[in-house]
Amino acid sequence: MAPLVEARGLHKSYWLGEKEIHVLRGASFALGAGEMASLVGPSGVGKSTFLHVIGTLDPPTEGQVLFDGRDAFGMTEEELASFRNRSVGFVFQFHYLLPEFTALQNASMPGLINRLSREQAEAQAREMLEIVGLSQRLEHKPGELSGGEQQRVALARALVLKPRLLLADEPTGNLDEATGEGIHQLLVELNQRLGIAAIVVTHNPRLAERMPRRLRLSEGLVVDA
Amino acid sequence: MNYPTTATSRVDAAEERRPANGKPSLRRRPAVLIAAAFVLFSAGAGLQYALAIWLGSATTFSRDAQLAISFGAEAIWFLLAGFALSFIGRGYRPLEHLAASLAFGVATFFLLRALKPPSFSYDRFLASTGELVVWALCASAASWLLAMWGASFGMLIGANGHVDPRIRYEWEIARTHLRLNRRSARILLLAGALPPLALWWGGELAASWDQMRRASAAAVAPALHVTPKQLLLVAAAVVIVLALILRFVKARAELARLHPGQRRKRPATVVMTGISIAGVSVGVWALTVVLSVMSGFEADLKRKILGTNSHALLMKYSTDFSEWKSILPKVSAVPGVAGVSPFILNEVILSHGQTVTGAELKGIDPATAGSVSDLPKQVIAGDLHWIAAPQDIPGTDRVVEPKGEASQKLGGPDYDQYLEDTLKRRQLHPEETKKLDPEALRNLGGVCIGKEMSHQLRAWVGDVVNVLTPLGEMTPTGPVPRSRPFRVACILYSGMYEYDSKFVYIGIPEAQRFFRMGDNIVGLELKFVDVDAARALGRRVVATLGGFPYRTKDWAELNRNLFSALKLEKLAMAIILTFIVLVACFNILSTLIMLVLEKTKEISILKSMGARDASVMKIFVVEGLTIGTVGTAMGLLMGLASCSFIEKFGLQLDPDVYYISNLPVNVDGGQFLMVAAISLALSYLATLYPATKASRLSPVDGLREE
Repeated sequence: MAPLVEARGLHKSYWLGEKEIHVLRGASFALGAGEMASLVGPSGVGKSTFLHVIGTLDPPTEGQVLFDGRDAFGMTEEELASFRNRSVGFVFQFHYLLPEFTALQNASMPGLINRLSREQAEAQAREMLEIVGLSQRLEHKPGELSGGEQQRVALARALVLKPRLLLADEPTGNLDEATGEGIHQLLVELNQRLGIAAIVVTHNPRLAERMPRRLRLSEGLVVDA
Repeated sequence: MNYPTTATSRVDAAEERRPANGKPSLRRRPAVLIAAAFVLFSAGAGLQYALAIWLGSATTFSRDAQLAISFGAEAIWFLLAGFALSFIGRGYRPLEHLAASLAFGVATFFLLRALKPPSFSYDRFLASTGELVVWALCASAASWLLAMWGASFGMLIGANGHVDPRIRYEWEIARTHLRLNRRSARILLLAGALPPLALWWGGELAASWDQMRRASAAAVAPALHVTPKQLLLVAAAVVIVLALILRFVKARAELARLHPGQRRKRPATVVMTGISIAGVSVGVWALTVVLSVMSGFEADLKRKILGTNSHALLMKYSTDFSEWKSILPKVSAVPGVAGVSPFILNEVILSHGQTVTGAELKGIDPATAGSVSDLPKQVIAGDLHWIAAPQDIPGTDRVVEPKGEASQKLGGPDYDQYLEDTLKRRQLHPEETKKLDPEALRNLGGVCIGKEMSHQLRAWVGDVVNVLTPLGEMTPTGPVPRSRPFRVACILYSGMYEYDSKFVYIGIPEAQRFFRMGDNIVGLELKFVDVDAARALGRRVVATLGGFPYRTKDWAELNRNLFSALKLEKLAMAIILTFIVLVACFNILSTLIMLVLEKTKEISILKSMGARDASVMKIFVVEGLTIGTVGTAMGLLMGLASCSFIEKFGLQLDPDVYYISNLPVNVDGGQFLMVAAISLALSYLATLYPATKASRLSPVDGLREE
C-alpha cells in the first residue's frame, strides 16, 4: 500500500541573525492511510516545525513532502489552499478558536471557506460536534467553554471536512491530566471510527505509549521509537 | 517553539522562488507584463483623444462636458486595463504597473509636445515645458492608481487562478474585527443621524422663528404665533433628548454595578476604528459644504448675469447691420434658439439735477427683450413697456410704489424713507420738471435705470434725466456733445451691483435716433434652450447665416475672467479639501495595519484551514471599505444637513462686499456623488497595503509566536 503521506529528506533551517539553525536534517518517514502515530521529543527539537512542514504550512528548505505520491510543495498557492482546506486538519496546543463566534460557527468555518452553503456547513459542523460530544454546547462562545470543551471544538473544526490526515500539536499540553486523557481517548476513537490518519505530538509518555505507532524526533531526524 | 520572527524573511524568499508548476504564467516575466500594460495605457490615452475630438465635432456639449466624458472614459479604460492585467499577470503587480505608468508618462510628455493639443486652462496651445511635465506626471499617476484599483479588484475576484467573488465568511470575520454588532450598529446609526437631524431642526426652527419675528413686526400687537409644525418639532426634539439622557444615565448605572474586573475590554483598534470613521466623515463634510457654498456663489452669479444678459450676442464685423429685420426669422428658426432680440449699446453720461454718472446705454425692444433675458422680471417700479409708450408714464405729482418680490426684499424703513424723500424733493424743487410744458414732457422718451443708479441720481419713476453722448455734432467751435432729456420709465433690480449702477435702457427707435444710426443696430441678443451649449449653438447660428461677417460671443466668453476665476477657485478648494479626506484615509491605513498585527494569529489559523490569499485580502479590504462607507455616509448626511441649515438660517453677508444678502448654497446631487466616489476610492486605496500585507503572511507566522 502506498503511504498516504511521505517525507523525503526534509531539511529546515532558520536564520537567527547571521547564524543558521538547523532544525530538520534530512528527516524521512511515511504514514499509511488511517495510521495513527505519536511523535515525542524534547522541547525545542522541532516537532512543531516538522508538523508544519508535513501539513504544508511551512515549506522545507530542502526535501519533499509527498501526499498520495504527489509533491505537495509543487502545487500552486490556490491548490495548496484547497489542499489544506480539505485534506489536512490541524489541532494546536491552544485551541485558536475565533473568540467572537459560537462553537457551531467555529466548527463550520472550514466548510464556509470551502464555499459550502451555510446550512450545509452548519449541518456538517453539528454532526462533528455531536461526535466529539458537544451537542449541548453549540451556541456557546469559546470564552464560555472549559479548556477540554474548547479543545474538542478545535478538534471538530479540524475534522469537519473529513480530512485524511490530522496533525495535532500537543493537543493536551494545556489541559489537566484527566481532561487530556479524555481528548486522547477521543483521538483514538475518531481514528478508528473515521479512519483518519493522525500524528499526535505529545509530552506525555503514557499517552504516547498507547498509540499504535510511536515516532521520536531527535537530532533533526524522525525515527520509530 | 520560540523561533525569532525576523527569521521568516528568508523563508518567504524561498517560497517566492517556488516554481509555478509549469502553469502558463507571466509571474517571472515582468517585461511582457510591463509591455502589455504600456500598450493598454496608450490605447486608453488614444481613446480619450479620439473621443474628445469626436465629441467636439459631433455634439453640442460644452467643453467641460466633453473633457469630463472623454477623461471619464479614459479612467474607466485604465480601471479595466488594470483588471485585465491582473488576470494576465496572475495577481496584482503594483511594481510592474508602476514601471509601465512611468513609461506612459514619458511617452505622454513627448506626444503632447509633438501634438500641441489645446491646453485645459486656456484657449491656447500647450507651450511651456512645465505644463507638459505636470500633465505627463498626472497621466502617469492617474494610470498607475487606476490600474492598481482595477488590478487589486481583479486580485480579489481571483485573478491568481481561482475565480471567486464571494465574501460571505470574510464579511463575518471583518465584522468581528470591527466589533460591528447590533449594539454598535445602533450607536453608529445614532451618532450618524442625530447631529444632522439636530442641525436640520436648528435650521427649521431658525427659519420659523424668523417668520414669527417678521409676522409679529408686521402685526400691530406682537403676538406669539406658533404653528403646529413648530410645536411638533420642538416636542419631538425634547422627547428625543430626554430619551437619550435617560438611556445614558441607565447605561452609566449599569456600568457602575459591574465589578471592576468585569469591565468590558475594548481593544485599541476599536477606538481607532471610531476615530477613522470620524476622520472620513469630517473630511467628506467639509468637502461637501464648501463645494456647495462655492457652487451656490457660482449659480447665483450665473443667474444674475444671465438675468441681465442673453446667452450670446450675434454681431457683425461691420457697422452696417440694417438687414437685421430680414435675418431675424432665419435666426429664430435655427434649432436650439429660444429667443432673439435686437440691441444697441453705447456709452453715455446721465445727469439729474446736479448729479452726473457714466452709464452703458442699451437700446432694446421691450416686446422681445423678455425672450432673451429676465429684464421684465427685474422691474421693481414702473413698467418696461413704458419706454416704448412714454405718454403712459405717470407725472411727478405722485410716487410710483415699488412692486414685485424684489421690492419686498428691498423693503424696510430705509427704502420707505427714500420714497418719502423723493416726494418731498419734488415738492420742494418743482422747477426741475416744470422747465418743459406738460405736452412736451409727455412725449419725451422713456428710460429704465437700475436701482443703484436711481439712488445715485436720486431719480425715481417720472423724473426727467438728461442723457449725453460724447459723439455729438461738429460745430465751428469743435465737437459739441449731444444731449436729450428722457423720463424714467422703470427701476430695475438685478442683484448685481455693476449692472444696477451702470446699465440704462431705452427703446430701439430712440436709440437709433439719438446715435444717428439710421436703421442699424449693434447686434442681436440670442437665448438658447441649453445655456451650456451656447458656444456650439452660436457657431450653428453663424453657419446658418453663411459665416463671415457674422460672429457670436457667448456669455461665458463675455464673462470669462469671472467664471474662470470661480472655476479655478473651486478646483483649488476641492483639491485642498480632498487632502483632508486623504489624511483621513491614512487613519484607515494605520487602523488596518494595527488590526493586521493584532490578528496575525487569526490570519494564520484561517490560512491553515485553507483560506486563500484573496480571501484574507478581502477581509481587510471589506473592513476598510466599511469604515470608509460609514464615514462617507455620515459626512454626506452632515453636509446635507449643514447646507439645509445655512439655507434656512440664512447666514448674513456684508451686502456692501458681496451684494448677496445671504450665503448661497447649491446642493448638487452630482457633486455629492463625486465626493462620495472620491472618498470611497481613497478608502479602498488605503486598504490595499494592509490587506496585501495580511494576505502575504505565511500560515506559520502567527503560530510560531507562542
